[in-house]
Amino acid sequence: MVGLDEVLARHRVVICAGSGGVGKTTTAASIALRAALAGRRTMVMTIDPAKRLANALGVRSFGNMDARVTVDGVADGRLTAMMLDQKGAWDELVERHAPSAEIRDRILANNFYQHLSESFAGSQEYMAIEQLCELQAGGAYDLIVVDTPPTRHALDFLEAPRRIADFLDRRVIKWFVRPYFSASWATMRFVNRTVGFLFKRLEDATGVSALVEVSEFFTSMSGLFEGFEPRVRRVYQLLRSPETAFVLVASPEEQVLDEAEYFCQRVRAMGMALRAVVFNRVHGELASKRRDLRRGDLEVLLSRLVSRPGVVQELADNFDRYEALGRGDTLRLEAFRRQLRKDVAVVQVPNFTEDIHSVDGLRSMHQYLFAA
Amino acid sequence: MTPADTHLFDRRLLIVAGKGGVGKTTIAAALGLVSARLGRRTLITEVDGAGRAAALLGVEPAPFGTARRVRDRLSVMSLEGSAALAEYLGLIMPVKRVLQAVLSSRIYQYFVAAAPGLKELMTIGKIWHEAERVDETTGERAWDVVVLDAPATGHSMQYLGMPHAAHEVFRSGLVGRESRRLVDLLSDPERTAVNLVTTAEEMPVNETVEMYERLRNELGLPLGCLFVNRLHDSHFDVAAIDRLGRQVTRLADERERAVVTEVLSRAREEAGWTAINRTYLERLAREVKMPAVRVPFCFSEEFGLEQVRFIAEAVRAALVAGAEAEKARGRA
Repeated sequence: MVGLDEVLARHRVVICAGSGGVGKTTTAASIALRAALAGRRTMVMTIDPAKRLANALGVRSFGNMDARVTVDGVADGRLTAMMLDQKGAWDELVERHAPSAEIRDRILANNFYQHLSESFAGSQEYMAIEQLCELQAGGAYDLIVVDTPPTRHALDFLEAPRRIADFLDRRVIKWFVRPYFSASWATMRFVNRTVGFLFKRLEDATGVSALVEVSEFFTSMSGLFEGFEPRVRRVYQLLRSPETAFVLVASPEEQVLDEAEYFCQRVRAMGMALRAVVFNRVHGELASKRRDLRRGDLEVLLSRLVSRPGVVQELADNFDRYEALGRGDTLRLEAFRRQLRKDVAVVQVPNFTEDIHSVDGLRSMHQYLFAA
Repeated sequence: MTPADTHLFDRRLLIVAGKGGVGKTTIAAALGLVSARLGRRTLITEVDGAGRAAALLGVEPAPFGTARRVRDRLSVMSLEGSAALAEYLGLIMPVKRVLQAVLSSRIYQYFVAAAPGLKELMTIGKIWHEAERVDETTGERAWDVVVLDAPATGHSMQYLGMPHAAHEVFRSGLVGRESRRLVDLLSDPERTAVNLVTTAEEMPVNETVEMYERLRNELGLPLGCLFVNRLHDSHFDVAAIDRLGRQVTRLADERERAVVTEVLSRAREEAGWTAINRTYLERLAREVKMPAVRVPFCFSEEFGLEQVRFIAEAVRAALVAGAEAEKARGRA
């Protein structure tokens, strides 16, 4: 069976994906720490509104994409953490790609942009991937571990570059721009009833002055993303490269597993390589140890050590409850594993009774993540 | 202020928000059950969900934007922005053939995918529509209470902030006017309450504190209750467990030793979670000024309707007081 160590050794980019709340950030940080301890120059990057990686690494500071932190306890410069501030992702994109200071300022000052930039499709996801491409091309790191943004759907991350390219597609932008900047608008209305209808409605809906503002925004944007399409192609090349491994992070809850199963199928369909699945927060199956031991027998056994019947009762009750959790987790995980290919590494991490927010905590995960 | 003082079920729209994976859908489903028991015609809505609320309540999910009946006075509905927009266009565009031509055109599809905030706005708009809708046959409101199972924190803020943003951008037009109505509903404490769900652990609590501050300071939305989910509450004395652990060697049989060791380690685990939960309950009490509803951890092999009922009972006990409590017990 393939282990996670092998997966790390064979790849230069590891992308940790999964739905929110399954311990993705902690897992990514722990994986990065493992590689750094093995002597590889490692970068772990995340987009993190809740400063989770900062917590996990015991790092307080948090900033935009220039904030790089070298982690204590690892040989000099072997582990670097980078945090992207998701709030500024679009500003960053505009700053980066604006052909001139004038266009940049015009976009940033646009009323439409200011109020709605947070809801433009997938900017933070895209910025993470673009950053990843740059780091990868720079060659300063042997391994880059990416903690994907906390989207509800793990797939959002993979589809963001495509969606953003569609958003900035010149053919689309032209529709927004045309009515107020081109004489052909009037003829369009007659030629294409659908378009005419839509724009008439748009005018009614938004008011002409707002539409002019929208139109201006798209005009400024259209110059901004010359050559965006080739960049997106490079992004997908990297995601599909044999040097890139996807690690799916999940937990044994039913809804998480449903989503995880869908993710596995889609990743495969998109030609990307799922190399490992990490199950966090797993309640171990205890039934085997208890085989044939009925509740009554358990109480008799415990009362040989414990004098107070109330305590015996409580201990046995608690054991029963955790056993139920363990049985459920085991059944669901077994079912999930059956649909995985044999060459996918699968590891289970127990449900720790402490929050992991220190390098020592991350290290303590290694015995499970990298169990022989 | 106690949770019961919020009179949640007298409001029209109960939003349930929080970090991913803390049990928002479960709390929304439980609120729906309690609300229906109180005699309120209740609709649970979920955003971009895969019909999880329906599944938890033991029914098949209906197509987007269509209510699926769960039981008397309780239905569930999945919402999706583009479906809501299509429905809205259907209302303002009575000629089916033209509507079909628009919906299937490439430019429309591009537009829907690209227009910033449109899906969020349409989703909130659809919720508003359901919250205000009057049943034509009875002349009464279709729903007394609409429960919204909101997406994870970051996305929730986008949804809840969208009507305000749209109003700011399009002040004069139809969108400006419609979004004004959405803002009015969302910010009216008589009609709406934003509830938060969290577990009492470090990461979810960090995010909850952050979201609480944004809701209060940036969005200025009326707050309801804080649901602290999956609480462990054991009374194991860790020192006593450790003492027991040292006595395990007295057992001669190896299998017995293994079993007792497991029993003790589960007790330690439970004591550990209890301690973590207490620490973060204290922090929540200090930093999030919302009446807190404590929801116990549900130990079970599977999580389904039975478990939602168990949680609904805890929710009911905290939220419903006095005469209403009598009524709810009578119907339960």
